[in-house]
Amino acid sequence: MSNCSETLERLYEYIDRELSNEEQAEVQRHLDDCPPCRDRFKFEENVLRQVRRCCRDVSAPPSLVEKVRRICNQ
Amino acid sequence: MRPGTGLVDGLFKRKEPNLVTENGRHPEAVRQCLQQEALTYIDSLYRTAVRMTRNPSDAEDLVQETYLRALRSLDRFKPGTNLRAWLFKIMTNAFINEYRKRTRQPRNQSLDNVEEYYVYAHLIDSGVQPESRGPEEEVLASLTDDNVVAALESLSDEFRQVVLLADVEGFAYREIADILDIPIGTVMSRLHRSRRRLQRMLTGSLVEAQPYGDSAHE
Repeated sequence: MSNCSETLERLYEYIDRELSNEEQAEVQRHLDDCPPCRDRFKFEENVLRQVRRCCRDVSAPPSLVEKVRRICNQ
Repeated sequence: MRPGTGLVDGLFKRKEPNLVTENGRHPEAVRQCLQQEALTYIDSLYRTAVRMTRNPSDAEDLVQETYLRALRSLDRFKPGTNLRAWLFKIMTNAFINEYRKRTRQPRNQSLDNVEEYYVYAHLIDSGVQPESRGPEEEVLASLTDDNVVAALESLSDEFRQVVLLADVEGFAYREIADILDIPIGTVMSRLHRSRRRLQRMLTGSLVEAQPYGDSAHE
């Protein structure tokens, strides 16, 4: 099993699903057995989730949608 | 947009051989595809534009410019490829090459001097111990949207872009590299440093705004 420092090096690639299936599973095995790393990963994921939630809560104003619709229909 | 290339005109011209693109698709067919599909990405483009320009009015201009450019460059779009990523690439280029020059916006500070330490450790040192406090959501829920926006907007353009593309829009590293025209290693490095910086800002405001002092550990 990989150690904590090897696992932390792959933290973001794991969260971003950029690892191979095998690597993803290896990190997961470590997290299953290592509560401190698990907490750390969870914390990181939650911070990113917070950023995503905040930024996605924005929609294009109807007036802009109409302008773009007209541009597309020109 | 050239005159006389409206939807109806375009349909009448469909058989003209000089209007067939290198991709073997008639531009009008591509344009119809854009018309049908591109509008579905307007929210996603707009919210990214708002965070890039830091101004809703400028964001509207940027989004309109993006669609105008997309229509002008239709012959370069390969049908069947990722239209959403293509639109983001156009918007990013418009932002970098035109918008930023025009508005002469000062660049925010580079992350070159960002201290290299893990915020998580800093939180623990500050007395915020997610593990002992239960679900981390409890800790992070204390953050307001204003905290998050302020932290995001404190990043330089280059670093903010990768966070928006990866963390908000969910693009893969490869797609971000194509959109920004930078190596994938640079995407990863910018993401890594931006996220650390963001965390530092967010948890810093958390610690300052809501010190987990005496009562939290009793």
